[in-house]
Formats: sequence, structure tokens, C-alpha cells
Amino acid sequence: MLTIDAVSAHRGKLMALSDISLTLDRGKTLAVTGESGAGKSTLIACILGLLKPSGGTITWSGAPVRTCRPALVMQEPRMAFNPALPLLQSVLEPLKARRAMVLPDRLTRLCKGLELSPELLDRKPAEVSIGQAQRAGILRALVAAPPLILFDEPLSALDSVTQKHTARLIAELQAEEGFSSLIVTHDLGYACACSDRIAVLRSGRIEEAGTPGSFVAAPQTEYGKKLRDAAFALGALEAAE
Amino acid sequence: MTLSVSGLCAEHSGRIILRPTSLDIEPGVRIGLVGASGSGKSTFGHALTDDLQARGRVVSHVPQSPDEALDPLRSMAFHWREAETALGVPHNAQRQRELLQSLGIAPGDLGKRPWGWSRGMQQRFVIAMALIGSPELIVLDEPTSALDPVVAADTMNLLDRFLEGCQTAMILITHDLCLAARRVAQLMVMHDGQIVERAATADLLHRPETEAARALTAHRSWLALPC
Repeated sequence: MLTIDAVSAHRGKLMALSDISLTLDRGKTLAVTGESGAGKSTLIACILGLLKPSGGTITWSGAPVRTCRPALVMQEPRMAFNPALPLLQSVLEPLKARRAMVLPDRLTRLCKGLELSPELLDRKPAEVSIGQAQRAGILRALVAAPPLILFDEPLSALDSVTQKHTARLIAELQAEEGFSSLIVTHDLGYACACSDRIAVLRSGRIEEAGTPGSFVAAPQTEYGKKLRDAAFALGALEAAE
Repeated sequence: MTLSVSGLCAEHSGRIILRPTSLDIEPGVRIGLVGASGSGKSTFGHALTDDLQARGRVVSHVPQSPDEALDPLRSMAFHWREAETALGVPHNAQRQRELLQSLGIAPGDLGKRPWGWSRGMQQRFVIAMALIGSPELIVLDEPTSALDPVVAADTMNLLDRFLEGCQTAMILITHDLCLAARRVAQLMVMHDGQIVERAATADLLHRPETEAARALTAHRSWLALPC
């Protein structure tokens, strides 16, 4: 279980996170949403240990998070890969780090589900589209079956049909393998469809947190309501028919 | 006057990326152009804009990200003057105030460079610039995908209000059928470099005729996905 307890963090002099407490159970999904600059990516950096919190603790079942070797799907798909290497080499790196082997059947299933052909994975990051690089990033996160995966806007470069296929694949694997997911996204439709809990971040603080159903039906704060209404206005959320 | 293009096509490195396409756009109409990634939507938007401009029609194009439209080293005022010069219109301070105001931009910040503005403000500024010449058509290519939901919804609402009762036609290019469905009266579906279906929004949502339109409507909502 991931436990974020009273975490604060600074980016230079700016207080980027202030007193954040969240938990994520094994096999569950937590979505973190909020406006740009709210502190969503800072939270991910703190969980991964890339940024040291100025207060509070983050643990995985009582131990430092790095002990569970979490995976990250990065927001900028092309920047997430070594530009000099074919994608496949980067994709298999988490296995090397764990001295693990991937079962051919599993790799085939993942590639098929993510619509990534062997020919495509032989290309370098600059030779594929942003959407293809994003799907390769998801493949890399899933390949070693880690217990915790952090997704930073994982579907932002995909079209709406591919978004849903990809989300479904991730959900199926999660049900089978029981990993925990933390999704950071602007897309409230995605956040609400694919999470067990949703937390709204604003100016480094948790504005509100609850189940997607309760958030859509009755946001607890003014800002939550504004965010939900914007998602309705954009068609990202639809009233249940 | 109705804008018409016929036989519009494009190729890149010997590959056809836009098959011969013809289209009539009536004044004031709002059309959504939807389709999967790589189906040729943006290519069509550029080809349409270029073709009509080459024939002397006033058409403006708003790219996906304000980064593509704004030079980080130039002030916002410079961009505005440059747009006026390109259109061959004299500087009109009152028109500028009206356009900026209608898109929710406070005056007084024009001396700043783009990075002194939020992304939402930058994108609204680009849309305001696109409206300087009272264009017959404005082509918006994924205008809100780089923005927060709150900022994106505000921007689309302000644009909707501005275009109300106006003769300017709009083509909204997006992969997001839900976004398009709320903003336009007609939808066109692009697949494999051609427009495969054009229908009133409600008709296309409820009675899609082509495979591409059926895939888009079936996957338009996250509600259908019990993750």
C-alpha cells in the first residue's frame, strides 16, 4: 500500500505541495487531477524520490517506495526514451534492472494490445509519432509487472478510440496482476472512468478527495464544481443516461 | 458567400495523405472535423486554409498549441501588428480592445512576451488575432488540447459567444467527438485521408453510417468503459 503522509515539498522558494495525505491500496487506482501548476507532477517526483519532500513521509507498505521499484509513464513521450536507442531496447531496460525475463506470450499480448509492431519498436524515438512513443512508454511500464505504476498524463497524445482501448488493456492487466496505479491527468472523463478514488489538487493542496461517483454527483468545493462543470462543457464527462 | 473547394489533395514523400476532397462551407456554419490520429485532419485544415487564401478569401488558422503561433522573443503587441500587416489592415486600437475583451483578455499586458502570459491567455490571444480580419472562415486545430479543462471550457464558451450571429464559419478539428458534438451543428468524419461522412451532429451521433464514424461514436464516452 502506498501511504503519503502530510507531505510538503518546495520547488526553489515556491511551496509546490503542502500537507498532502493520500493512500493507495494494492490493486486500486487513484486519480489526481487539477489545473496546470497545481503540483501533480511534483507529487510524482516526490513519490519516486526524485524530489525530497520538505516534510512528511511517503512509504510503500512501510518501506521506502524505491524498494518496490515503481514504474513511471512520463508525460512527454518522446523525451522519455534514449534518442540514440531503438525503442525496444529502452522498453526492456526495466527487466534488465530486475534481472528478469519477459514471457514471450506476455510481450506479444502487450504489444498487440498497445498496437505496437516489432518493426515499430525497432525504430528510434524520433522516427515514431508522439502517440506511438506514448504507447511504447506504457509498454515499458507494464513489461516488468511492477507492483506500483505512476501514470503522468498517459493517454494525452492518443486519439479517443485508442485512449479507450489502452485504458481497457491497463484495467484488464491490473485486475489480473493486482498492481496499484496512480494516474495524474487533466481528463476528468478518464479519471472518473478508470479510478477508485479521485483527488483534486489546487495550489499544492488537496482541495477534495472521494470516489468518482460522489465527485461527479456532488463536488464538495467550489473549485471541484468548476472543474466538473468545465468537463461537462467540454464533453469530457457526460451525464449518465 | 459560400466557400467552396474541389479536388483538394496532398501528398508527402510520395504518399497520398489527402485524397481529392470537395467541400462547401456556408456562411456562419460550424462544422466539426473528427477522426483518429493520422487520418489527415490537420493536413485537410492546412490545405483548405492555403487553397482559400490563395484565391483571395479571408481564412484564418489557429494551431493546436500557442507555441506554434507565437515567437517567444517578441511582445504580444508585435504579434498583433504583424497579423494586421499580413492582412493589410491599418492598426485599429478599438477593434483590438473589443476582440481582446470578448475573449476575456485584460488590456495592458501587450508589452509582455508570450511567456509572461498563461497558456490559456496565449491561446485566447491567438484566437483573437485570427479574428482580426473578420474572416469568412476560422479553422481551429485541436484548440483546447493544450489547456486545463477549466481554461479550455472558458475559451470555447467565449469563442462561441463571439461567433454567435456572426458570418464567420468555423471548422473545429478534433479527435474528441464529445468536444465537437457540443460545439457544432454538423460533423465530418475523416478516415484514411478522406472525408467519409458528413451529417448533422445528432444524426451522426445516433446513426453513424460508416465504419470510421461508428468506431468514433462507440468510443466517444468514458461512460461505456467500466475499468
